Amino acid sequence: MFCKEIYQLINMEKDDTVLIEKEGLINSLIVNIRKNSFGILILTPALLYLLAFLVIILYQIIILSLTYVAPNLSETFPTVKNFLDLANSKEFIGAFKRTIVFTLVGTPLELLAGMIAAGLIFREFRGRGIIRSLFTLPLAIPGIVTAIILFILFDFPFGHINDLLLGRHAFFPKIISTPIPWRSSAVFSLGVAMFGKVWRDMPISMLIILSGLQSITRDQYEAAKTMGAGALQQFKYITLPLLIPAISTVLVLRSIEMWKEFIFPFILAGSYPLLGTLIERAYHEWNSATEAATIGLILLFCIIIFTTFLFYILSWLRRQLVKI
Amino acid sequence: MSKTHKTLKKDSNKWIWLIGMVIMIIIILGPIYMMFKYSISDRASVVTGGAVIPLWPYQPTTEQFGGLLENKSFINAAFTSLGIALLTVCISLVLGAPAAFSLARYKIPGKALIMILLISVRLFPDVVSVIPVAETFIKLRLTNNIFGVSLAHTLLAIPYVIYIAMGVFETIPKELEEQAQILGASKLYAFFKIIIPIALPGLAAAAIYVFLLSWNEFIFSYFLLLFGESTTLPVLLKKILSWSPQHNLLAAISVMLSVPVIIFTFIVQKYMQAGATAGAVK
Repeated sequence: MFCKEIYQLINMEKDDTVLIEKEGLINSLIVNIRKNSFGILILTPALLYLLAFLVIILYQIIILSLTYVAPNLSETFPTVKNFLDLANSKEFIGAFKRTIVFTLVGTPLELLAGMIAAGLIFREFRGRGIIRSLFTLPLAIPGIVTAIILFILFDFPFGHINDLLLGRHAFFPKIISTPIPWRSSAVFSLGVAMFGKVWRDMPISMLIILSGLQSITRDQYEAAKTMGAGALQQFKYITLPLLIPAISTVLVLRSIEMWKEFIFPFILAGSYPLLGTLIERAYHEWNSATEAATIGLILLFCIIIFTTFLFYILSWLRRQLVKI
Repeated sequence: MSKTHKTLKKDSNKWIWLIGMVIMIIIILGPIYMMFKYSISDRASVVTGGAVIPLWPYQPTTEQFGGLLENKSFINAAFTSLGIALLTVCISLVLGAPAAFSLARYKIPGKALIMILLISVRLFPDVVSVIPVAETFIKLRLTNNIFGVSLAHTLLAIPYVIYIAMGVFETIPKELEEQAQILGASKLYAFFKIIIPIALPGLAAAAIYVFLLSWNEFIFSYFLLLFGESTTLPVLLKKILSWSPQHNLLAAISVMLSVPVIIFTFIVQKYMQAGATAGAVK
């Protein structure tokens, strides 16, 4: 029905390209702009909005981090004193170390949780759709609500989790003999925060891994089976290499989220700040926007460097695995 | 012999799968169940004085919800949240939908750059961007102001709006608006009278997504509203938490905050599925 129109359209575009070649680059740009003037017009408001925020954020953060406000409120600019002060501040070094550990432990955990959930849901069974919706439920609970539920559950000395681990319910074995102080130790409080983070983000990892699994065809496994490959070999030589793109996506996205995590450590590990929560503390408790901006800039650099590094490792890994 | 061995192995695999499934369901549903349980708990089953906290309240009660509905600060926060979310939906759709149409249909110079800009906005740590935004908004007198918060939430929402809406516009055949233009409609008329009505279900999904994003958002609301009179529900929850109240009150607010999200998430899922199948039929 539309054959004629489509044909005309294709020919018209051909004519245009000939025109472009004839008239050179600047003219081609003008032709392009004139042809797409309506498109450019309706794109402009959103673009201006985004650019305005981009300029505000980048300009302000650099200006703030290079401004030093002395206790008597006199300002010096430009100076790197903020960075030097932070490098000597115990609180910052502690937060920095904790953030690195939090990211390095939490990212693989997110991947693992996603892979387990995807593996459970991958096979065919009755009620799969319902289970799938159930598995995405954590995503529907607001982050702060999850954090507060965990705050209640991991209470000390008498919370549900301590009750459970102390063996006070008939159906669960006794594991510990004294209640665990969940909020007064870096390991426990950040562990609970990490549990919350992994619990809430598991559906995202699961969905990415699941779409990766579904792109692998049955035939590949059948072929491997006829050649006598066991389950472990199938996983090692088929599933894992073909899942690498999905796994890379999960690792890159999740590690960025781990670096910038705020809400769980903010509610659950108030005494042991990460870089994200330290920014809030600098802004509200130390009352220093300049130091907050400096920590923010450092966090930003950490994310960029780490993500680039991760990218290289993952592409190297992919080449190694595909070679086999 | 080997056959029985094989079925045995298959059986054990099935059992491992079943046990894993049960553990996973308990881990996922446990916290959600606990939230509902605490929200209907009476005082005696929250403050037990050292006795085991019951897994089901001694006397289920809805008094926490009743108290909240009469509490002025809760009602105010709920309406502030609602207002900010609706305003965010309006701003981000008005800005985002035309931009998405433009990116889906036209050969815009520098399109790749714009897409990279959108992804970096999406990945930018919000706890970092909130400091310069808050400092600038203080100068512009946009803090403690519903409009200011919506403007900030739009920044988080706009990449999603553009991505979802681009997907929607790409499914609408190009011939439709070309026919309209042949019949003499202007591009603007064709966009508003033909494209937008067809894209409405998909745009509704985007709107719900943005609504939920703004309704849940904590960091920007917290930094921009902390010292003012109006607060959103998540910020109110945090403020109440620092007064260390009873757990059942916290849980009741949590339920009020998350029930709309759970309902709307499933509605959006339905829309998305409908959209996917509609595309398949075409």
